[in-house]
Amino acid sequence: MRIRRVLRQLPIQVFLIFWTLVAIVPFILISLLAFRSQQDIFLYPLGIGGSFTPQNFVSAWLGPSGNGVGMGNFLKNSGIIAVTALATTLVLGVPAAYFSNHLGLRLRRGFLAVFICATVVPFVLLIVPYYNAFSNLGLLSSPGAVGVAYGVLALPTTVLVLNAYFSQFPSELLEAASIDGLNRFMIFLRIVLPLSSGAVVGVSMLTLVFAWGETQLGIALLQDPSSESVAVGVLGFEGNFTTQLGPIFAGLSLASVPIVILYLFFNRFISKGIALGGVFR
Amino acid sequence: MATLPALIAVALVFVYPILQGIQISFSDWPGIGDIQVTGIGNYADVLTSPAFYSALGVTVVYAVGTAFGTVALATVLAAAVSARVWGSRVYRVLWFIPSIAPGAAVAVYWNTAFQPQDGTFNAILGYLGLGDNYAPLASASTAFYPLVFVTVWSGVGFAFILVLGAVENIPVSVYEAARVDGASAVRQFFSITLPLARPVLAITATLNLIWTFNNFSTVYGLTGGGPGTATTTLPLKVYLDAFHSGDYGHATAVAVLAGVLLIAMGFISLRLTRQRNEL
Repeated sequence: MRIRRVLRQLPIQVFLIFWTLVAIVPFILISLLAFRSQQDIFLYPLGIGGSFTPQNFVSAWLGPSGNGVGMGNFLKNSGIIAVTALATTLVLGVPAAYFSNHLGLRLRRGFLAVFICATVVPFVLLIVPYYNAFSNLGLLSSPGAVGVAYGVLALPTTVLVLNAYFSQFPSELLEAASIDGLNRFMIFLRIVLPLSSGAVVGVSMLTLVFAWGETQLGIALLQDPSSESVAVGVLGFEGNFTTQLGPIFAGLSLASVPIVILYLFFNRFISKGIALGGVFR
Repeated sequence: MATLPALIAVALVFVYPILQGIQISFSDWPGIGDIQVTGIGNYADVLTSPAFYSALGVTVVYAVGTAFGTVALATVLAAAVSARVWGSRVYRVLWFIPSIAPGAAVAVYWNTAFQPQDGTFNAILGYLGLGDNYAPLASASTAFYPLVFVTVWSGVGFAFILVLGAVENIPVSVYEAARVDGASAVRQFFSITLPLARPVLAITATLNLIWTFNNFSTVYGLTGGGPGTATTTLPLKVYLDAFHSGDYGHATAVAVLAGVLLIAMGFISLRLTRQRNEL
């Protein structure tokens, strides 16, 4: 019975396994070739054969010119960007998403409409005005300022996903709490927030993935090479390390592995966030 | 009250820049100092330049091709997983990884993969005895195909989750009835899964169309718009016009025209979403 089931699935399984390999082999190869010498990469481009050496990571960390403007710097900048983006989107988004449910029906509809419209604003429209604003404010090449901008750009998704989640929150719980004498704000802090960690983790992951990978605005706003994020930095690696594949692969694995590991831990929350209407661009 | 800071932030980060962008598009702003509106010169330049129509054409074909490929592949994957094939739980986690990794990083990887001899693509073909000297990114007539492939590759995980949600909402009883009537798995896919998931497929396709239209990382990292301008899309053109040529007014006019097209597509997508909610 079991064998027949497996046999019937065989043709589709061949295709699914093929696609799985296409999806993940690049990451395995990037991580593997990052430890190979230039000669070994040329001789064994599929990573089978050759010896291990950490030298590429040293080169990638210190950057193409060896002056320290490399992955070490980029990871630090992306860390700053990720933390500020996350703080911005959660501090602004979580209370807004919850308390908008207390607005009257028409106000609430208008509020949600603003955020729905914001999700379709194309970034291509924002690049030059952002460059102008950041330049006027003296914030060009400031990862922290870019992080705040990313946090607000992620706000529509944060608000819409959390609003969808909060509007399903069991009202009996809220009524019980208000009978116990808690005011709206205390109910939010003591009852709703602790029970919503899954949804908050979901929108946090969506924000992190966006802030970690964004390049369209980053490449214009992070002008000084030492201020570049990981994603903007690896684009520069391509031109600067032209023939040295080893350091490029080391840089790519440092750029991809942290966020992929985070995803493997929290993947259930991401799927839930997307199911509630979450997107990242 | 707690909703106000979020609204103000959205006004500052979305609304104000768009208004200023429109202003810049009517000026010769040199990248610094005040913006002085000079008239519709930029729009006249853009609308009479072959480079704009070339980029527009590339963008539209790129977006349509990618959206179609992504949704087709995502639907097959979602149908398989919803039928609980062996390994489904592992597959659905792994297929999303290309969408998680930074688009710029995977684009740079695929750029190396399509290089002759030691690139992964050529290495595998060479291993299979099919030759290892292909350089699809080096020729204007072929660079487009790797670009669509890589964009589909990185977008399909996300589309898969959206489509899976729709496919799993189809009642099991429908499939059971079909099975009693003797319909094969392939027949069930075309007669039940596809028609019943259609509204979500349309939304997923539209979202993908918009994202691809606006994609920057993949294009910049994989082809840089080349060879020549063979794969220069509108977002890339805006970046190059502004930050390589210093022609901010011209670039912003292109951005506004691209933005109008995109927002039009966004509204179509919202219409479709509303239809879904009414169903």
